[in-house]
Amino acid sequence: MENTEQAELRDRLKLIESMMAEGRRKTESWGWSFLLWGVAYYVATAWATLGHSNFAWPVTMVAAGVLTAVMAARTSSGHPETTLGRAIGAVWSAMGVSLFIVLVCLGASGRYDAHVFMAIIGAMLGTAHATSAIMLRWKMQFACAAVWLAASVAACFGSETVVTVAFLSATFFGQILFGIYAMILDVRRRQRGAANA
Amino acid sequence: MPELPELNPVIHGKLRLALLSLLAGVEEAEFTWLRAKTGSTDGNLGAQLMKLEEAGYVAVEKKFVQRKPQTIYRMTETGRVALAEYVQALKLLLGGAM
Repeated sequence: MENTEQAELRDRLKLIESMMAEGRRKTESWGWSFLLWGVAYYVATAWATLGHSNFAWPVTMVAAGVLTAVMAARTSSGHPETTLGRAIGAVWSAMGVSLFIVLVCLGASGRYDAHVFMAIIGAMLGTAHATSAIMLRWKMQFACAAVWLAASVAACFGSETVVTVAFLSATFFGQILFGIYAMILDVRRRQRGAANA
Repeated sequence: MPELPELNPVIHGKLRLALLSLLAGVEEAEFTWLRAKTGSTDGNLGAQLMKLEEAGYVAVEKKFVQRKPQTIYRMTETGRVALAEYVQALKLLLGGAM
């Protein structure tokens, strides 16, 4: 076979790989939502602590949920769905709804305990991060899962100060920093894609 | 010496190959998304998609979303098998050179 023909066949293989990757790209561009929820946790914590309001958490969480839904609808418009994307979306949606219902019920029943609250949040977020990390084979997200699970364990055994520090640290590393990191990765991927086009 | 496989001419066209590969990575896709990803013109894209449809490699569905017409394409099982066989044939042909 001549070299030009071989080069053309190799081009075809590269084309297949790049186009398949293009279809999957959408699943990797959710960094903004981690950042948004990380900031929302900080806002809710600050409001609850400084404002002594019982509405701080439910109101902030509902607002963040609505904002996420609106932004997701805008960014997903016209983009095709992948099985992987839907699976990961299902994990996070189910986790969010479960967490919201359990925490609201705990608060409404008057059985509020900072240790229990943080242990539940840490365990649920750790599970969702770990599930996504396994699906995407993404070590950095697995590190986030470890951070949240560690915060959950700390909430079980530590003092109230330890619980607060663990939660704020896990929010910073597991949501805000991870969200920024994912957004940077996504921008770099887009730039590489544009350069290869 | 084993006989070298022939490449499927329906898939071998660059735009048709790009379209099938794009559809292989997603569940379904709108015409506009395929146009944006391939950078093709409406006419050429429509013609190539029709060839893929005639070969039974893609299925098309037309619907209205908020009163706007939408043309949705999805890869069929036949298309998936044909693309897998095409990739296999490519690898065999490049076997000695890879």
